[in-house]
Amino acid sequence: MTDYNELIEEMLEKVQKAPRYTGGEMNAQVKPWAEAPLHFAFCFPDTYEIGMSHLGMKILTGIINEQNWSLCERCFMPWVDMMALMKEKQVPLFTLESRRPLREFDVVGFTLMYEMSYSNVLAMLEMGGIPLLSADRGEEDPIVVAGGGCASNPEPMAAFIDAFMIGAGEDLIVELNRAILDAKNEGLPRMECLKKLAQIPGVYVPAFYRAEYNPDGTLKSFGPVSPEFPARIEKRYVYDFDHTYFPTKFPVPYTDVVFDRITLEIMRGCTRGCRFCQAGMLYRPVRERSLETLVRQAEALVASTGYEEISLSSLSSGDYSCLPELIRELMRRMKDRRVSISLPSLRIDSVLKESLEETQQVKKSSLTFAPEAGTQRLRDVINKGVTEEDLIEKVRDAFEGGWSSVKLYFMDGLPTETEADLDGIADLARKVVAEYFRVPKEQRAKGLRVTVSASTFVPKPFTPFQWAAQDTIPVINEKQEHLREKLKIKGVNFNWHAPNLSFLEACFSRGDRRMGLVLKRAYERGCMLDGWNDQFKFDEWMQAFADCGIDPAFYANRERGKDELLPWDFLDCGVTKEFLWREKEKSDRAEVTKDCRQGCNGCGIQRYKGLCSYAPRKEERHADPGGI
Amino acid sequence: MRIQAVFEKNERVRHIGHLDIQRAVQRGLRRSGLPVAYSNGFNPHILVSFASALSTGACGRREIMDVTMAEEVEPALFLEKMNGAMPPEMRLLEARRVEDRHPALTALLKAASYDLTLRDPGQAEKLIAAVDAMMGQDRILAVRKSKSGLKECDIKPLIYALRGKGSHLYATLALTERETCKPGMLLDAMKNAAGIPPEEEVRMLVIRTALLGEDGEGRLAPLESL
Repeated sequence: MTDYNELIEEMLEKVQKAPRYTGGEMNAQVKPWAEAPLHFAFCFPDTYEIGMSHLGMKILTGIINEQNWSLCERCFMPWVDMMALMKEKQVPLFTLESRRPLREFDVVGFTLMYEMSYSNVLAMLEMGGIPLLSADRGEEDPIVVAGGGCASNPEPMAAFIDAFMIGAGEDLIVELNRAILDAKNEGLPRMECLKKLAQIPGVYVPAFYRAEYNPDGTLKSFGPVSPEFPARIEKRYVYDFDHTYFPTKFPVPYTDVVFDRITLEIMRGCTRGCRFCQAGMLYRPVRERSLETLVRQAEALVASTGYEEISLSSLSSGDYSCLPELIRELMRRMKDRRVSISLPSLRIDSVLKESLEETQQVKKSSLTFAPEAGTQRLRDVINKGVTEEDLIEKVRDAFEGGWSSVKLYFMDGLPTETEADLDGIADLARKVVAEYFRVPKEQRAKGLRVTVSASTFVPKPFTPFQWAAQDTIPVINEKQEHLREKLKIKGVNFNWHAPNLSFLEACFSRGDRRMGLVLKRAYERGCMLDGWNDQFKFDEWMQAFADCGIDPAFYANRERGKDELLPWDFLDCGVTKEFLWREKEKSDRAEVTKDCRQGCNGCGIQRYKGLCSYAPRKEERHADPGGI
Repeated sequence: MRIQAVFEKNERVRHIGHLDIQRAVQRGLRRSGLPVAYSNGFNPHILVSFASALSTGACGRREIMDVTMAEEVEPALFLEKMNGAMPPEMRLLEARRVEDRHPALTALLKAASYDLTLRDPGQAEKLIAAVDAMMGQDRILAVRKSKSGLKECDIKPLIYALRGKGSHLYATLALTERETCKPGMLLDAMKNAAGIPPEEEVRMLVIRTALLGEDGEGRLAPLESL
């Protein structure tokens, strides 16, 4: 092993934010290299500040290190200043803990949380001394694996990743590592090792699958090259969510990271069924952690991290069945230690509000609501179960409770959206402002600020909108212009983003293997850190599409037919294509679907026995017209 | 009661800035379970102060924190609990009890000692060879960066001791709220004396080895002994 330590030390003196690369945080696990035979580099394809805020990384690194036969080190995407120095001094991308190059690990794993971090995966592989293409890797190269939300459509990354983990990683990552270690011990060649991996439920090895295309560019066929590999790959689930691994220690960064606090995952999944929400479809069914487990985890984490804040995390924390009890219990225990409890995206019910005010000084910074669409019709189309009355009532509560700053999140470009829906956004903002002035002057907090944010809708796989066309960039620009005009309201700020990034997101989220060519070309043209405004090079991306002779509109702006074979159809992610199509048709009719807790909607998860607590028992299933 | 503790900021965390070091200590105190005192007010924080901010990039061998406790705590217990709660890169070395009326650390601070490790042996030789000549000058001019811009000043009265050996410079420099000579200012002056052009980069590792105050006879002595 070459010792890069001296060079790294010299580079660290020159970069901004050296602590991004130095590790040594409280609770960072550093296992001696020789102590475990399997070495895993956990790579987060964005900077340290983003990666260290990610709960999944804490869970999975913890699990890998807990096995006495495997060790896990962390690696993040370096910033441009560091990359330039690494290139100049020829220092390969290294892990924080032992500062070894990625190529020296047995397994290099990426978490794919965001399509626009794919170029960073390529950059990290290359800097780490690993051939970009799976097909070019040799016996000495690490096995490159990936998982995370975006792995639900792995195809755009298929050329670069040796094996994907589909679904919950808690058990899967251990099985995968075990198989790789066994193969290593038996001295199996790389291809044989990949064959073994392809037999693990939930693992997808792209090299063993072939895609064929029709003349019009749509997918003609997709399947394994040999019957020894499964034609359909089922995603993995955590059945006993209450008892599944959760770390009792988090590394505590020295420097500011995006979420610098304890994150307690109170439940996984969501029952609301918003039609645009991929997480809501993918992380089904809803599973809660018990109050006892959560209190125990909170106690352990407060003691081991010294954090001042606990945040309760899930897709819809307000739906946690014993939320008031949980918050009261946590507050009672944490009061003396000055630990505050923060509740993201929460409906503040009045009982809870009182107890919040009694027991701690709530930072009345800003409350966030996500009506997503401006009219009831469009909210019905997307199945967002929020009414205007709901929203206004909550806003009134907030203003009466001393808040003066409210954020409203919307999406533009939703399917069937018209000018009336855009005007509805402005109407809603105006009503929120009026609600503030309705509170007597002496009672309300000063400085009203209503922030309206509109993001561009990106259709995602495994949602009822997976067939939908995204609005073109000119259309989105027009809509945003319209909104800017309409939202010139006193007390209202309007935030929007140029749709370019969302357009590329749409290309990748529903892309096939050919998007991998575009990605590689864009990377060669210098695209990386695309999620950072000052680094995003849209023109280079467009040039990369042109270089490859691929039309981005084919992926982003094209409506798919019911019978089209979609690139991710070979994955079984729980919800069935039939259910998604039914939901799509209902959305065309602006018809809502009830919350799962009010009765099973037959999404497909009920095929897995004992997984969903809202699934009907067998004899009830026939009676359910929505079932399959 | 208050506890003063000597701690280390080692090489691995030397790029952590002072505010982040403060926060790391606060979180260490929270993890320790010790009965620390909190400030009153909207955002209660732990009552802990530091003798001096240590620059980003510098290591400290004997940095000092001063913690106000809510109840009596044995210094030995404080040391034990804190060392169980701090990252290995920030070990505590000593702790002692001080009276509530004991002056604040910043009020006692007069100077600091440094071990400046020069990375390049050639540069080290030149710089060390120039020490005596420079110290023989009437005035040693250096540029101070202040809010109002760059200002030339004489740092000779701020250099209490300076000698070189091998690749190290050992310096004791003034460090008060009013007058401070930073290692970088000293280095600039030394480069000048050694004929090293200002634009030539001189890499050095700054290790602050002691924080000093004045004893009863007006002699410099470690702050933690006063």
